[in-house]
Amino acid sequence: MNEREPDTELTPEQQRAVGELPRRIEPPEDLWPGIRDRIRQGNRGVGSGGWSWRFWVPLAIAASLLLAVGVRLAWVRTGSWSVERTAGAPRVDGALMGTSGTLRVGEWVETDDSSQAVIAVGTIGHVDVRPGSRVRLVRARDTDHRLALAYGAIHAKVDAPPRIFFVETPAGTVIDLGCEYTLETDSVGRGLIHVTGGYVEFAANGVRSIVPLGAYAMTRPGRGPGVPYLEDAPAALRAALESFDFNQGGAAAVRQALAAARAEDALSLWHLLVRVESAQRGDVYDRLAALVPPPAGVTREGALAQDPAMLERYWSLIRRIEFRRIILKGIRDVDPRTGLAR
Amino acid sequence: MVEGVEVVEDDEGWPFPCKPDPGARHLTPVATIARAIDDLVRRAQSGEEAAFEALYRAHAGRVFALCLRLSGDRTRAVELVQDVFVRCWERLGSFRGESAFGSWLYRLAVNLVWMANRGDRRREARVLPVEDPQALERSGDATTAGVSVDLERAIGSLPDGAREVFVLYDIEGYRHEEIARMTGIAVGTSKAQLFRARRLLREKLER
Repeated sequence: MNEREPDTELTPEQQRAVGELPRRIEPPEDLWPGIRDRIRQGNRGVGSGGWSWRFWVPLAIAASLLLAVGVRLAWVRTGSWSVERTAGAPRVDGALMGTSGTLRVGEWVETDDSSQAVIAVGTIGHVDVRPGSRVRLVRARDTDHRLALAYGAIHAKVDAPPRIFFVETPAGTVIDLGCEYTLETDSVGRGLIHVTGGYVEFAANGVRSIVPLGAYAMTRPGRGPGVPYLEDAPAALRAALESFDFNQGGAAAVRQALAAARAEDALSLWHLLVRVESAQRGDVYDRLAALVPPPAGVTREGALAQDPAMLERYWSLIRRIEFRRIILKGIRDVDPRTGLAR
Repeated sequence: MVEGVEVVEDDEGWPFPCKPDPGARHLTPVATIARAIDDLVRRAQSGEEAAFEALYRAHAGRVFALCLRLSGDRTRAVELVQDVFVRCWERLGSFRGESAFGSWLYRLAVNLVWMANRGDRRREARVLPVEDPQALERSGDATTAGVSVDLERAIGSLPDGAREVFVLYDIEGYRHEEIARMTGIAVGTSKAQLFRARRLLREKLER
């Protein structure tokens, strides 16, 4: 939505006054000397600040030599993020934290039943650590922001290119594709992810689920993520998927899922298509094609042969329809078979 | 101030320190400014403190205004501005030029102030507008300064969440989706807080 929210509360004069507020207010004093001193003291930044390369180059060489002789731990433990207490008495690496603190690579944030904390994910987002949770900072690099959720629940909100923020769980790894989600798991990997913005990929044991906005996926230890399903998916479909994914429901569970699925549930059927035994793949494809006709260039034969390009094209259509359906909810009646307004 | 650098504004109102560049005469003013800022950012990324100082001088006013209005506390705003620029220096290596430097800096500032506010809800008084209305008058049109000061006072007295969304939406021009992305609140929450802020503001101004 690009339009501005119409202001029906303020009078025109008040609106004009707001519009004329100065956008620049000079600080009451020159803050540069203080900033300069701080960046010189704790120079973790981009360059040498006031130090010359003649100082840093030999130091870097010496550091490289140290690394080369095998101080791997030092390499692994570099990097840190800030963490803020939002309720109760969370702990960082076993110690009670104050209002705010630093979370270093390898350290844990732990919350009891009445504690909460928020971790700043570098500069790309933040993670709310819900009560009763244990989270470790695994890696803090520009290209790899990685947490491990041992148990409990987190709410992650990240604004960054895909695949630079990861959360490891006992049942698999959640890969951010530009999104917001809530993830909960117990210590053995029984968990649930609910995506409330963008997309998430959940991967484990060679199994991959793409969970879009408005969808859930369950996880189980040793099995990884289940087939994702929509918030409003029929109970019969959810039960059938759980049976298929985690309770060896087999062909009977697939048949129940196909019978319960609506056009809106195409994302679940697409995931089933790549997971069922080859003998049932035709049934899944036929049901999916009846609910959401495949786009041009996708053939039954190609889909049954698991042609990656065709599956991707089909997924792209399903994803676009679902996105339109959700963002236009309450505004337009969108046909879940085509994504067009009815 | 770095010698030869002057501050101008681009088409989005962002102040850019602009060093005259004879080789850039064929470029539009905005392109010239962008080229100058790119140069300063590159130099700062390589560790040149003077270039970073120029970036600070150019942007301090807008960052201070943001910190002041979001925190509602003049002393806190001064600390936050320093934190923002120290964080900026630390993160400058990750700036890839995919957006204007000013936009990137501002997002960093919003994120930092928002995080700080969440951990600092205990403060009791917001003193800026009352403490030093002169600071605002110096920045604005003399004929509207009194109105501005009243308005700043009223904005400063809004509840935290409502004030934050009002500042970002109505003063800084962000959309609800952008606010949601930067702060982690839901779009619906942002809309509700804006509605609440405007209603409270009108009540305060009409008292």
